[in-house]
Amino acid sequence: MIMQENTLMVQARGLCRTFVVKGRGAEKIVEAVRSLDLAVYAGEIFGLLGPNGAGKTTTMRMLCTLLKPTAGTITIAGYNLTNQQDQIRKHIGYVGQKGGMERRATGRTNLIFQAELYGMKNQQACERADQVIKQLHLESYADRKVETYSGGQRRIFDLAAGIIHTPKLLFLDEPSTGLDPKSRSYVWQAVQQLNQAGTTVVLTTHYLEEADALCDRVAIVDRGQLVALDTPAELKRKIAGDIITMSFNNVDHVQQAANLFKQQMFVKELQLQDVSVLLYVDNGDESLPASIALMHQHALPIKTVRLSRPTLDDVFLKLTGHSLTNTEGGLT
Amino acid sequence: MTAIRDAYIILKNELMLTLRNPFWIGFGLFQPVVYLLLFYPFLKGVAQAPGFPNANTIQFFAPGLFIMSAFMNGSYSGFGLLDRLESGFLERVRVTPVSRIGLVFGFVSNEGAQTIIQSSVLFITTLFFGLRFSVFGAVLLFLLLLLLGITMTAASYAVTLKVKTTDGLVAISNFFAMPMLLLSGVMLPLNFAPRIIQWLSAFDPLTYAVSAARALIAGQVFSNAVLQAFGIFAILAVAALWWLNKEMQNAVS
Repeated sequence: MIMQENTLMVQARGLCRTFVVKGRGAEKIVEAVRSLDLAVYAGEIFGLLGPNGAGKTTTMRMLCTLLKPTAGTITIAGYNLTNQQDQIRKHIGYVGQKGGMERRATGRTNLIFQAELYGMKNQQACERADQVIKQLHLESYADRKVETYSGGQRRIFDLAAGIIHTPKLLFLDEPSTGLDPKSRSYVWQAVQQLNQAGTTVVLTTHYLEEADALCDRVAIVDRGQLVALDTPAELKRKIAGDIITMSFNNVDHVQQAANLFKQQMFVKELQLQDVSVLLYVDNGDESLPASIALMHQHALPIKTVRLSRPTLDDVFLKLTGHSLTNTEGGLT
Repeated sequence: MTAIRDAYIILKNELMLTLRNPFWIGFGLFQPVVYLLLFYPFLKGVAQAPGFPNANTIQFFAPGLFIMSAFMNGSYSGFGLLDRLESGFLERVRVTPVSRIGLVFGFVSNEGAQTIIQSSVLFITTLFFGLRFSVFGAVLLFLLLLLLGITMTAASYAVTLKVKTTDGLVAISNFFAMPMLLLSGVMLPLNFAPRIIQWLSAFDPLTYAVSAARALIAGQVFSNAVLQAFGIFAILAVAALWWLNKEMQNAVS
């Protein structure tokens, strides 16, 4: 979907949220979101990417009227969060991490109830539920109890409930967390399909692949702050590439190798580590044979060689200076 | 008007879920029925002691049992809400434009309906134990039970939204429910109690409900006890609903 630059669906300025956590006797103030600015345009799929505890969910909950910001302003589809909550609620759909489908009822009953919550009369609600079931191809299990569903089936139904009132803007909190790869791509397809039909989507994720596969633009959030904001391709170009780690028998060889690699076009960046050279390259599959050939050509014996793809961890390490897996603070 | 419609939508959904799993209504009756079968025979023996207020023990015991049942079901209703909180159901509902006051009344009226159903089953059971009643008194008794059920449900729900954890809810529910129940004279007449217990029981709203229930079953419809109980629980119900509404407006995280 091509985004319309001039139509703002979400605008957040100086968004802050602090929580008071009661520890042993002392109260600790946790800043979950710190002065965040965001703009989401109509028609795009916008991703909030970050590790657990980065403040993604807190941000989304504030945008969805579930949590009051400590400071800052939010405008959703032209409505102000402070005094037009009801208007906002009519125009947005939200699918939380837990979904919230009633397990003891059928998927269809859940959808009808959801439609009624948006003010539809019973008959209208039944028709609309039927429509959404067809749209997302849920016919085969819509009339079974939700407790019998697989994780993927339940997730798609969560999504169905989120779009029951055809919202302009859909919020998805970690839409594919905990799903197997097949269900994940099923969810992705559904999200893309909705987006092509004109729904603006804002989602949170801690999967780089998910941000890559789905999002038009990605905001990387860490410790409640915006670290980077761009298209996935641009982000990857800036931060990523592949890493070739080549080790040698002695420091002398490392130095010689480094001098040779510095002259190569394919090496974007180079780091020395003991008896190893770390090469940051755009395309590891092509650069690896070339690098080995180069060493042979100059008769430099390679001890070991490893090609690694950058993980989200690497992206984070590079952007924030700390690892994704050792982030402090447990708030999501 | 939308609040009434929204409350109806919620109530309809809740009742449908209850009807599909009627087990829980039966489960709520377990405790009072156990008291009736295992405690009542004891009490019958004890009631021969001088100073026991009523010659016919069931006339004394059954009204207390109704109050206990309605009180306990209301006081522990928060656990059902806790499940909805953890499953994300409440979050899903709160993100829709459904009116908050409608939500409050929808949930509470569902629990109120369950109180009436359970009390009816219990009432019919005690008839087999020889309970005699006045019709008008019984009607007012059900009204009082409904008011009590609503009050305790609203309070329990409000506490649930406040503490959000099973541990916290268990601690708070037990801390209040057991002393309130024991002080109210629901099991044994208060005139057997030492003066300090009698003095304390005057601060327990449940004491007034128990006295009123006994008066209503005896047909003393316009007695002071009845007036006091309705007055106290009307105020408490409004206060609890107001509190629940406030908690419902606030963030659910």
